[in-house]
Amino acid sequence: MPRFRPVHMALALICAAGPAFADLKQAVDTVMLPGFAHFAESAAAFEAEAESHFRETGGKCDPTALRPGFNKTFDAWMAVSWLRFGPSEEEGRTLAIRFWPDPKGLGAKAQRGLLLGDKASLEPELFARQSVAARGLSGLERLLYPADPPEADPCPLLRATVKDLARLALEMEGGWTGDQGFARTLLTAGKDGNPRYLSRTEALQSVFTQLMGGLEFIADQRLGRPLGEEGKPRPERAEARASGRATRNILLELQAIRRLTAALEPDAAGTLAALDRAIAEAGKLDQPEMAGVSDPVQREKILLLQRYVRAARATALAEMAPVLGVGLGFNSQDGD
Amino acid sequence: MATRRGFLAGLASLSLPVPGWADVGSPAWLAAGKMGEEYVLHGLREDGESLFSIALPARGHAAAAHPLRPEAVAFARRPGVFAIVLDCFTGAVRHRLTPPEGRQFNGHGAFSADGALLMTSEVVAEGSEGRIGLWETGGYRRIGEWETGGIGPHDMKRLADGRLIVANGGIQTDPTDRTTLNLDTMRSNLALLSPEGEILEIAELEPELHQNSMRHLALVGEGVGVALQWQGDPAEPVPLLARWEPGRAIRLFEAAPEEIFTMKGYAGSIAANQGMIAISSPRGGAVMVFGEDGTPLATHYRADICGLAPLEKGFVASDGGGGLWTLAGAEEPARPLRHSAISWDNHMVTIG
Repeated sequence: MPRFRPVHMALALICAAGPAFADLKQAVDTVMLPGFAHFAESAAAFEAEAESHFRETGGKCDPTALRPGFNKTFDAWMAVSWLRFGPSEEEGRTLAIRFWPDPKGLGAKAQRGLLLGDKASLEPELFARQSVAARGLSGLERLLYPADPPEADPCPLLRATVKDLARLALEMEGGWTGDQGFARTLLTAGKDGNPRYLSRTEALQSVFTQLMGGLEFIADQRLGRPLGEEGKPRPERAEARASGRATRNILLELQAIRRLTAALEPDAAGTLAALDRAIAEAGKLDQPEMAGVSDPVQREKILLLQRYVRAARATALAEMAPVLGVGLGFNSQDGD
Repeated sequence: MATRRGFLAGLASLSLPVPGWADVGSPAWLAAGKMGEEYVLHGLREDGESLFSIALPARGHAAAAHPLRPEAVAFARRPGVFAIVLDCFTGAVRHRLTPPEGRQFNGHGAFSADGALLMTSEVVAEGSEGRIGLWETGGYRRIGEWETGGIGPHDMKRLADGRLIVANGGIQTDPTDRTTLNLDTMRSNLALLSPEGEILEIAELEPELHQNSMRHLALVGEGVGVALQWQGDPAEPVPLLARWEPGRAIRLFEAAPEEIFTMKGYAGSIAANQGMIAISSPRGGAVMVFGEDGTPLATHYRADICGLAPLEKGFVASDGGGGLWTLAGAEEPARPLRHSAISWDNHMVTIG
């Protein structure tokens, strides 16, 4: 339709020249929903693959054969791991999918009970009610990359945990989609019948909070825990050490945060540049187990990444928050 | 024959009825907040309607309502150098309370049942040792102080028999700001004081929970419900709700396993009603409701939620985004009661 083109161009010019804007729909449709869908697909594919492996081996599984499916599912999780609202926070799903950090070893304790206990608890309905600490990716990592030979055949528990993970992923995706889904809740903010978000600003605020929280978690937990204090590194606290995913998880999460930022506020050039700098640094960091926290040279690099992540958070707060019309919580930042 | 002078003299000698809370519309709660760049104290009706709004000189924290007169004491955030007595009928500042040299207000206060005495939680600026400041309420003169038996007292609740329970949060802070100085060695406790200020009993948590700060209280049964704030490793799940009846040990209540991190280690307010106890976390953006026996009943999610008070069959809650919410019971979802441009501060204080 050539004759309409000038109109389109004019609109495009207006948009390009206009003030920075927030595109919540873009963020939901192109980042959040595909992210949760991909996670559910990956978990389902992992379940199918594991099921056929269990059938082929007659129950005598080879845990190492399941590692690729585990890693693909973990990769998919990292794209949405930091979106801890809506269906993710309900019923503790995020924790059931990934229980970390776990300084008291609650997961290992609860999982040992399942490994040595009554097999009836591995039935899907009962298993879904077992401790969140024992299940999900953390539970699978312990079984697929065991530090010591297992005290009992891990195959039945592995099978139950994979199944449960696929169920959780599907439930989570279901909670995001459809007429009653959380995506709609975000996008109908401020409309009648939406008590969750009384205005569009509230919805933007909650998305922005996820972004801030994701970057904080990387800096304080994923990097901060193994870094420990100066002169007292704590490599044993690194995330996903057994599966060697410590830096990979950080990289994937940063990339997902960048995708959301770019969709939500494409004009946030400073924030995107700061995220790119952190992503580049994370990409260079070859620390699958974060062992480098104890090495003076490597430690500097890990500290640098932590500074870059914190700088990205500070930039987002300074640059994006005013455009979105949001901030940090009045009470949550204050304390008393 | 009655002269004008005589008439006026007669008028002055009459004991006119003093205004009561009914004269300001019988507000249910006091709540501090921020509107634009202004800090305010509101008196709210049960439907969330504001009945009066009085400007505060700085950000408020909690308030105390006189049991009979429409008089509110607004406390600054800790470490506080001011508390102001507000006439909610006229909006006038009736008195400004300044702590004595070397003392700081710590955010909360309570009146005696007859309203004759105001008790304020205070610290000795150097070292944060706890004191209850005592003020007579005719002219709000300082008339004395009690020791609280701990460091950094915050909330306090008066039992029906006049005894007082004080939550000594255990945290020593820098006298000039809120920098914490003793997180490694802190030890929170609850102290029971006689109506005359004698320490009758002190209860502590087990040593491994020494970094769990008991800060806010609600009357429950023969004692109090306690909201805690964890100062240790945020990755360690710890209970944030407790109950204490004098003469017994403190009982801690765990959240359901899937909810152990919902509150992010921080409970900011507590209220009890109808056999339920609610605690709020602005950091976690959630209110958790428990039975009085500690059974987890429900979790309601709302960003920056903190203020809590009893309402009908459940609770009312306020948030930093201007929302007031009713939490009717365990089964029902949170419902918006009112929404405004006021960022509500940490606490809603029940009047009467």
